[in-house]
Amino acid sequence: MKALFYKEWIKTRWFFLAAALVSLTLCEYCLLNISRITELKGAVHVWEVMLTRDAIFIQLIRFVPFLIGILASLVQFVPEMQQKRIKLTLHLPYSQNKSIGTMLLFGILLLTIIFFLNFLFLIVYLNQVFALELVSRIILTAFVWYLAGFLSYLLTTWICLEPTWKRRMINLLIAVALLRVFFLSETPEVYNTFLPFMVLYTVIVSILPLWSVQRFKDGTQD
Amino acid sequence: MIECSNLTHYYGKRLIFENLSFEVPKGRILGLLGKNGTGKTTTINILNGFLKPHSGECRVFGEKVQQMPAYMRQNIGMLIEGHIQYAFMTIEQIEKFYASFYPRWKKEAYYELLKKLQVAPQQRISHMSCGQRSQVALGLILAQNPELLILDDFSLGLDPGYRRLFSDYLRDFAKSEQKTVFLTSHIIQDMERLVDDCIIMDYGKILTQQPVKKLLNAYRTYKFNVSSDFEFNSPELYHPTQIRDEVEMGSFLVFDEMRQLLDSNGVFYQNLTAQQVSLEDAFIGLTGKY
Repeated sequence: MKALFYKEWIKTRWFFLAAALVSLTLCEYCLLNISRITELKGAVHVWEVMLTRDAIFIQLIRFVPFLIGILASLVQFVPEMQQKRIKLTLHLPYSQNKSIGTMLLFGILLLTIIFFLNFLFLIVYLNQVFALELVSRIILTAFVWYLAGFLSYLLTTWICLEPTWKRRMINLLIAVALLRVFFLSETPEVYNTFLPFMVLYTVIVSILPLWSVQRFKDGTQD
Repeated sequence: MIECSNLTHYYGKRLIFENLSFEVPKGRILGLLGKNGTGKTTTINILNGFLKPHSGECRVFGEKVQQMPAYMRQNIGMLIEGHIQYAFMTIEQIEKFYASFYPRWKKEAYYELLKKLQVAPQQRISHMSCGQRSQVALGLILAQNPELLILDDFSLGLDPGYRRLFSDYLRDFAKSEQKTVFLTSHIIQDMERLVDDCIIMDYGKILTQQPVKKLLNAYRTYKFNVSSDFEFNSPELYHPTQIRDEVEMGSFLVFDEMRQLLDSNGVFYQNLTAQQVSLEDAFIGLTGKY
């Protein structure tokens, strides 16, 4: 497991560092905006806008976790599928499901670290400006976007590891349909009731890449 | 070591081979020869567990390849066509990565081979030439020290110097440590230097499987002159071709048997000659020119 983590780290370290930097910079930009409005118009105004107009002031980062998830998967798995290099990993004297599972775990862990840092950054600053209920409103709304980041990572991996182009297109359509659910509404906290189900189906989707790998091992062709 | 029985495979409706059966004994170097599209890489993929055949069975070390326990793969060294490796790693990193999976890993074998390349340990594999990458791939296999090596087109893209280096090292490793090697290549001269036994495949079937020395002792290229079109055919004659008045063909018949065959079938010929040929010429004679 350590060796696989080592390989994945060498392959993806610059991407994950860049992703952390970019996402934190965008969070910082959002928070600076809040800070600017607070300075100019006062905290009361900001709270009022939040409550009456369903504003959360961090809309800019709505699609960032989703994009990071897609790019993380591409950076991690496209090199594996070029010239079918994944055969090198599948040939190792280590369970093939565990190998792929370890690679996925690596990606999920790095995404978790980046997203956690984003949340930490947001929470620390927002707590200084807003009441707990308003902070919770922002964080719960953002949680769905970050969950979409994990889902986009898993679904993109499912597509990348699929050996046939025809099935990749079908997987892509399914992935778009599954991901769209996370962006149907911009209303803050509208997904609160559905969150446990969304977490559950994100976890279930983690099995799909293993199915693609099994199809690869069977030698499925277009 | 390797037992394949009644392998049949299709790509869509196209038959690749049918009821293919062969065995590779321990300690032998066996070369799989065949024209493009005869199923060499398909066979290698089945052996490595990356392709489920339409029907039939392949066993390596007595285990069905698709169900082989993971730990047994430490005894199989694999080379992918094109000497594919993780290009984003350096020489040092890739050795460190693989070493943790193989208990019998011999680091010295890897670095000893790589000394010849005059590359720094921090050099990335993506910045190496084809020949250098082939040596990295070979070094990793030597360090792994497997009992069985399965190499797909080991000479692809290599210049004569690197091909010679690769073959010499491989043969020395295989013979000194009683390893079994199953390989393919399009460069038949290299195969002739390297392999003990060969399997020659033609579309859909195995034409012959025998030791190379035995094949070369038994196979002859026959040439003779005729005064009209040569239309005689026999299962013992391989791909007769006629250019003007000269006919050329291959056969496992000895000279007297060939003369008797031609005489008894009323073929009028002159200047019949028999020649022992190289493995490449025997291969072309048995499978035909395009």
